[in-house]
Amino acid sequence: MTRLRSWLANPWGKPRFLVLFTALYLAWSIVPILVAIRFSFNEGRSRSTSQGWSLRWYTGDPDLSVLHDPTMHTALLQSLRLALIAVLVTVPLGVALAVGLTRWRGRGSGTARGVSLATLVTPEIVMGTALLLVFLNLLTFVELGTMAQAIGHITFSLVFVVIIVRARLLAIGPHYEEAARDLGASQLQAVRLALLPMLVPAIVASGIIVFAISMDDFVISNFLSSGTSTDTVPVRIYATGRTAPTPALNALATLTLGATIVIALLGFLLWRTVRAARGQAGSTVGEFAALDAETIR
Amino acid sequence: MTLHPRESRYGRRELLQRGAAGAFLLSSMGSLLAACGGSDGGSGADLTFATPENPVTWEVFEDNPMIASGLEPESGTLRIYNWNGYLWPKIKKDFAKEYGVKVEETFFSTTDEAVAKISSGAVDFDVFFPTTDRVGRLILGKSLQPLNGDYLPNLANVWASLRDPWYDKGSQYTVPYATWTTGIGYRTDKIAASPAKLANPYEIYWDEQAKGKLYLLDDSRDAPAHMLLKNGIADINTENPDDIALAKAELKSLYDQNVKTSTDDYTNLPEGKAWVHQMWSGSAISAQYYLPDGVGTDALGYWFPQDGRGVIGSDMLAIPSNAKNPVLAHHFLNYLLDAKHGYDNFVNYTGYQPPFTALNPDKLVADGVVPKNLRTAIVRESDFDVASQFTELTPTGATEWQNAWAEFKAGV
Amino acid sequence: MSDLSEQVGEDKTGTRFWAGLALPGMAWLAVFFVLPFYVILCIAFGSVDPIFQTAAPEWNPLQWNTAAFEFVLEGLFTSGAAFQTVFLRTLLYVGIATALSLCIAYPVAYYIARYGGRWKGLLLAGIIAPFFISYLMRMLAWINLLQDDGWVNDVLVWVGILDVPRNWLDGRASSVILGLVYGYVPFMILPLYAFLDRIDRSLLEAARDLGASPFQAFRMVTFPLSMPAILAGIAIIALPMFGDYYTPDLLSGAPQTSLIGNQIVLYIRGGQQIPVGAALVVVLMLFLTVLMGYYIYATARAQRRLGS
Repeated sequence: MTRLRSWLANPWGKPRFLVLFTALYLAWSIVPILVAIRFSFNEGRSRSTSQGWSLRWYTGDPDLSVLHDPTMHTALLQSLRLALIAVLVTVPLGVALAVGLTRWRGRGSGTARGVSLATLVTPEIVMGTALLLVFLNLLTFVELGTMAQAIGHITFSLVFVVIIVRARLLAIGPHYEEAARDLGASQLQAVRLALLPMLVPAIVASGIIVFAISMDDFVISNFLSSGTSTDTVPVRIYATGRTAPTPALNALATLTLGATIVIALLGFLLWRTVRAARGQAGSTVGEFAALDAETIR
Repeated sequence: MTLHPRESRYGRRELLQRGAAGAFLLSSMGSLLAACGGSDGGSGADLTFATPENPVTWEVFEDNPMIASGLEPESGTLRIYNWNGYLWPKIKKDFAKEYGVKVEETFFSTTDEAVAKISSGAVDFDVFFPTTDRVGRLILGKSLQPLNGDYLPNLANVWASLRDPWYDKGSQYTVPYATWTTGIGYRTDKIAASPAKLANPYEIYWDEQAKGKLYLLDDSRDAPAHMLLKNGIADINTENPDDIALAKAELKSLYDQNVKTSTDDYTNLPEGKAWVHQMWSGSAISAQYYLPDGVGTDALGYWFPQDGRGVIGSDMLAIPSNAKNPVLAHHFLNYLLDAKHGYDNFVNYTGYQPPFTALNPDKLVADGVVPKNLRTAIVRESDFDVASQFTELTPTGATEWQNAWAEFKAGV
Repeated sequence: MSDLSEQVGEDKTGTRFWAGLALPGMAWLAVFFVLPFYVILCIAFGSVDPIFQTAAPEWNPLQWNTAAFEFVLEGLFTSGAAFQTVFLRTLLYVGIATALSLCIAYPVAYYIARYGGRWKGLLLAGIIAPFFISYLMRMLAWINLLQDDGWVNDVLVWVGILDVPRNWLDGRASSVILGLVYGYVPFMILPLYAFLDRIDRSLLEAARDLGASPFQAFRMVTFPLSMPAILAGIAIIALPMFGDYYTPDLLSGAPQTSLIGNQIVLYIRGGQQIPVGAALVVVLMLFLTVLMGYYIYATARAQRRLGS
């Protein structure tokens, strides 16, 4: 009883209930994924009982493994293809948009800012329906499939690049560009030589985010798909998740997760290299977390 | 920027200006879009509906001609648009090898989705598998191209009645692919009752033991059809509002049974997810390959009305009008019409019978293709005389039925 | 800060330069975001081509046909009708799921923000991790666990709560709601954490010095300060949840748990009545805009109360 009272009376001590709660949450959040990954390495066909370890569902099984089942590896390749296209187009587009919107103070800039943030509050089913109807009824030269899906992914992820880069821009301020202008640089040169290098962390972070969003995307890929040849991994999971008889689906999902993690790590290493090259000290993780916090704000 | 409390951000004049600008923008956008708008209806053609009593010979339109004879097959990738599990992968491989091309198959899960994509022209496939209740519109909408019979000598293998069917006399746009019936699949080892022994066999859907293990087909025509037949309404294409309301009420009464819908009947029943499943005959036959270890084929049962007055149909092959490889597609159709290929496709994979004269239905049980307890799933040419087939619905009828289906799916 | 950046743009050539930079992005959004909304309106107010069974959009606002909207509105405001039932059910599920998510997200975010200490980086990584895992993969993981022979049933039977394995995937509202919670709660934690991290400790210390107990300090200082954060978190997960249709499909499959998204998909993806589907989408967007408006108002009011 006294222990309880002393626990309550000391607000600066470790609150054990919160510790337990958070630990439980993290377990609840992550363990099912780990279990799913475990079963992707199952020897047998079950997705819920342990049956040994093997790479059967990745490469071994001659009909049903990810390597041999055409619908499976097509889905993986399509996911990767769309994610790469999304990053390559969205990041430059979004950075230009973010820089332009932050500095622009003319007429219409408020509306422009509002529109650019509007995709954030639009549910994907609305965007998916809108784009599907546009491609079927107006812009019919865009066939359903990779092109349509890529357009959808870019449109949906643009706002995330804008938010991240804008947050960084507001934190950086205009001093460096002003200094460059004072030294004789043109507007474009100031942006290119003074501003962009400072934005590299934000650009890399937004690239990683866009990649993750694109790999994860379901509704838009589903609506704008032309059939199984342009289905992405989430779409295949949706189509077969309830009835899939083998762990090959788990294997596919694991591979997708692996791809995202690899890209995130590559981005992180890239960022670290750039920082080291510039001689910046301090923790990269800390900077990334600070970036996130600013972004949310 | 602080405003006086009585100041508004937008003065009245500004508001009017913005409103006027907005309205002007909308209407000019409207006329601009109308000028450069996409596919523009063209719905001047009459809507003729084919029925078994009223067969239709489709016209061959000038702007949608058939391809010339004697052309060489293209060397591109043959793209097939099909139901899942409806074409044996080995057929695709063999065809690909024989013609030195690649074959790619894309799946759809509902007819609605497939027809919407094909008629919009937003996708391009070389081979499509339409159904009798949609093919009329596809032809009238010029989404399918007329077939050149010179490439299709194997058409002679097909039953006479289906070579010249009511929905496409002279097989101008389609060739038959497979026949099927819609019956009731059930697990003999889990349910004590069986439809054949019930006074009204359709009542098995309401059987207590089926609660939570009941599935209907996720098809807006097949599912209500059984509700109509349960009440003695033989016209499964009825557009009578009372009939539609009745079917809807029957469907809704199954909520207490925790009914679900699916088109994966060939796995749901053998895996034990379903103990009673509205089922297509082909799924009943191929379900035996999805049984888990230790469960024999006698655990499966398939019921179809003994007097033959159930739902029957035939699916066909067609070539979309925007196909990139029409000659190759014709060859593929001919390949599937070959007696041996069609039989292998049926026996080894799909379970759906091709309507070939060389195929003797009575031999199927003896040959071990169909388990004895599932012989009700075999389709005969004579069945088509008695049973009901799906025909096109008028726009009003289609709307009414879709609303009824949507209401059922809403779980109201 | 922002004044200075505004000063830079005051320059006339500067304005054109910045606007020019923003132009490609704005053009993209204009064509692929704004225009599609107008197309949805034109289709919702259009008709159906009887041959193709596809939508025949009506581009001229003066000739808009209100039949589809009348159908949808009638379905929404007639008691017992399909659309109303589904919509109310969606509201219910989203409401419960959001409330549950808040109950889970707030303590976790609070703990990491206040007591994270040297574990903060690791904990943050654990919180951010679900962003990199596809929503559907997380649902797939749960489907595996909820199967008749899955771990959930195994554990429950072993512990003794259940005698026989229960079928969790056969159409339960609880499975769907818990699925929604599991899927969306990570999106709520991060914003909550970001705000809570920012709360000034000295305010809490002051409250304690003035004699407040830990609970009172929380109730009167921390909680009101975090209202904007809570509102933001709710907005971030509730808005997408209204468009969710795949969670019921995956975790249930029964008509009694279908959401408004399922109805939209049914009408849009094939058949006779694409305008009705488009009209449903428009109505949903209007509803969400109203919610957004309330969110902006509530946040502004909360921030005014806090004097910030």
